[in-house]
Amino acid sequence: MTNNTDMEHHSEISHNRYNVLIEFAHIHLEFQRPELESVLSLHDIAIGRDCIEVPLPSSIPTVENYRPFLILSFDYHYAKEKFNLDDDGYVIQSDMSRFSKIDRTKPTIASVLSRCTLIRSAIELWGAGPSFDSCVEHARQLSSGCAGRITLENCMKLSSSWKITIHTLGTKFNREEQNDMRMKFAFFNLPGKVQMVNPTNEFLLIREVELDPKGTPLSQERDNFLSPPLAVYYGRVLGGIRDWRGNGRLDQFSLKKRSYLGPTSMDAELSLIMTNLGLVRNGSFCFDPFVGTGSILLTCGLRGGYCVGTDIDIRVLRGRSDEENVLSNFKQFRLNRPDLIRSDNALYHRHYRMNKPIYDVIVTDPPYGIRAGARKSGTKEEKIRAIPEDRRHDHIAQTKVYPVSDVMGDLLDVSARTLVMGGRLVYIIPSMRDFDVEKDLPNHECLEIAHVCYQPLQTELGRRVVVMKKVKEYDPSLRESYLSSVWINGPESAEKCANIRERLLEAAKLKPGYEEKAAYRKKRRQITREEKKKQRAKHV
Amino acid sequence: MRLLTHNYLQSNVKGTEKGYPLTIEPTKIEYEESPIDMEFVENILTKIDYSALLSARNQIEDRCHSDLGSDFIVPSLPEVMPKRYSDGNSKDDKIEEDETNQEAFLKSIHTILFDIHVLEGHLVCPDTGRRFNIKMGIPNMILHEDEI
Repeated sequence: MTNNTDMEHHSEISHNRYNVLIEFAHIHLEFQRPELESVLSLHDIAIGRDCIEVPLPSSIPTVENYRPFLILSFDYHYAKEKFNLDDDGYVIQSDMSRFSKIDRTKPTIASVLSRCTLIRSAIELWGAGPSFDSCVEHARQLSSGCAGRITLENCMKLSSSWKITIHTLGTKFNREEQNDMRMKFAFFNLPGKVQMVNPTNEFLLIREVELDPKGTPLSQERDNFLSPPLAVYYGRVLGGIRDWRGNGRLDQFSLKKRSYLGPTSMDAELSLIMTNLGLVRNGSFCFDPFVGTGSILLTCGLRGGYCVGTDIDIRVLRGRSDEENVLSNFKQFRLNRPDLIRSDNALYHRHYRMNKPIYDVIVTDPPYGIRAGARKSGTKEEKIRAIPEDRRHDHIAQTKVYPVSDVMGDLLDVSARTLVMGGRLVYIIPSMRDFDVEKDLPNHECLEIAHVCYQPLQTELGRRVVVMKKVKEYDPSLRESYLSSVWINGPESAEKCANIRERLLEAAKLKPGYEEKAAYRKKRRQITREEKKKQRAKHV
Repeated sequence: MRLLTHNYLQSNVKGTEKGYPLTIEPTKIEYEESPIDMEFVENILTKIDYSALLSARNQIEDRCHSDLGSDFIVPSLPEVMPKRYSDGNSKDDKIEEDETNQEAFLKSIHTILFDIHVLEGHLVCPDTGRRFNIKMGIPNMILHEDEI
């Protein structure tokens, strides 16, 4: 029977309100909330103002590990005005329209949330609790609330078929046990028939267990007994698909097949997330000053943006051939061609007339000297040789090394100047885990940090995606002052990102066993070389 | 290169302050129709240099006739941009022209700014005469070492 603690939880998830449980994938953990908040803001929804986040029920007082769930609770009248709550016919499509379509007039909640790359599913929450029984009890009270009553009524059509899917996060239950669980919810007495394939409504019963940092469920067996769940949820699947990221449905799979890829091409999932963080939508004027192979710009185009990209490297802009270049990628996805310009971001103010801010979003992966060295106009030679007239046309101008501190300073200054008010700059910065986000990130008086999300790549090394908003108008007469205050700790902060490979090597050398491992690897390489020599000798 | 991009480009040769607007000498032009976003066009109108757009339009007209066939007509533009756009307060001003004229104007602007692409040719600095080439639709604005 329910006890007092359970009742406290129940009163927080009120059936007078419209409640949605979001299940995230266990990946890019730091990006999940910022991405969700960004996508919600595209629809002018703010957590805290238009809906509240309800704490998850829990059978343990403190859970140390990450829980990939979130409950949003809406005032029912707000939800009814804002959304089309009757989405039993609506199924999320996996085609390209999902990238950019923002339905202004009463979208379904699923169509709003499905833009989040990191969401696996969303359910209309009918019951929740720290235990199976408390979840069932909570679900029994659904129709006692004004929102719950209507929610239930909507599913009472004879013509609506249904089924219950059980999601136990790795814990195994046999068929009999599963049916027992399903029967606990039989009290709803849904009139329609049970249908396993494509029912009108799919219900999801989730038995949450604690996951380790990699997303693997912690062992559930203690002294031969099955540990109790962390929480149990029951609700109706929104969007007609149980797993939005399921095989072949995630949009990034189609992006992987794009024709022009290079060593520095951004992985598709991260591009999708970055453009969400940048609030790219239909008609957004998008700019990538280090466009390279155009991976990020492509995602902007897919989201309906008008795309402009610049780069100092003409070879990367023109691509490998007519069939393999930035433009062919856009063509492959049937997008309007982007405008590409070969120019130097260090000299942006000289290439471009900047009387009025024009960009809504600047989203980029600046060069850090790890996979592609940054260059700017100019030569390292002291005496500049004039180029003979007959050679000028095809002359590839020399470029010189562009220090990371300047790359970032220029990027922020150009962004501050060319973004519209409220426009966003989204960039990637490689950094060690112990990076000081407060002091080591570049600053600009006109820009404010909105999000910083860390993506681990190796134990110590990762990437941070930084999102900045323009909050103050740019004053051209203050340019020198802006540029000199970019680094709180001085340009050395920039060098922290620039020399990561060397730093990794230094760090590895200090670790115990390094000498042995290095010697071992050397020996193995020697053996491999000798093997190869023997092979070649045989074939001669 | 679209004419919208051209509207922002200037010559950055050392010593010139009058490197805008660049003269377009197109040798190959393509037309690619795209869906019109009226709101976007209205918004962009407040940010472009209209007289530079006018002269750009005139500079590409002949090449459009030869490359796009005699059926293609480059839309004409009024000498002066309708007031409601130049002030940037389009939403609040009284409507000065009737709806159809306005829509026709926006459609013309859309075609000229977005749908005409200069694939090959040159951009010429009005002050120094320096020529920047355009290949595959990509203008090359990088200066040589002795010009920076």
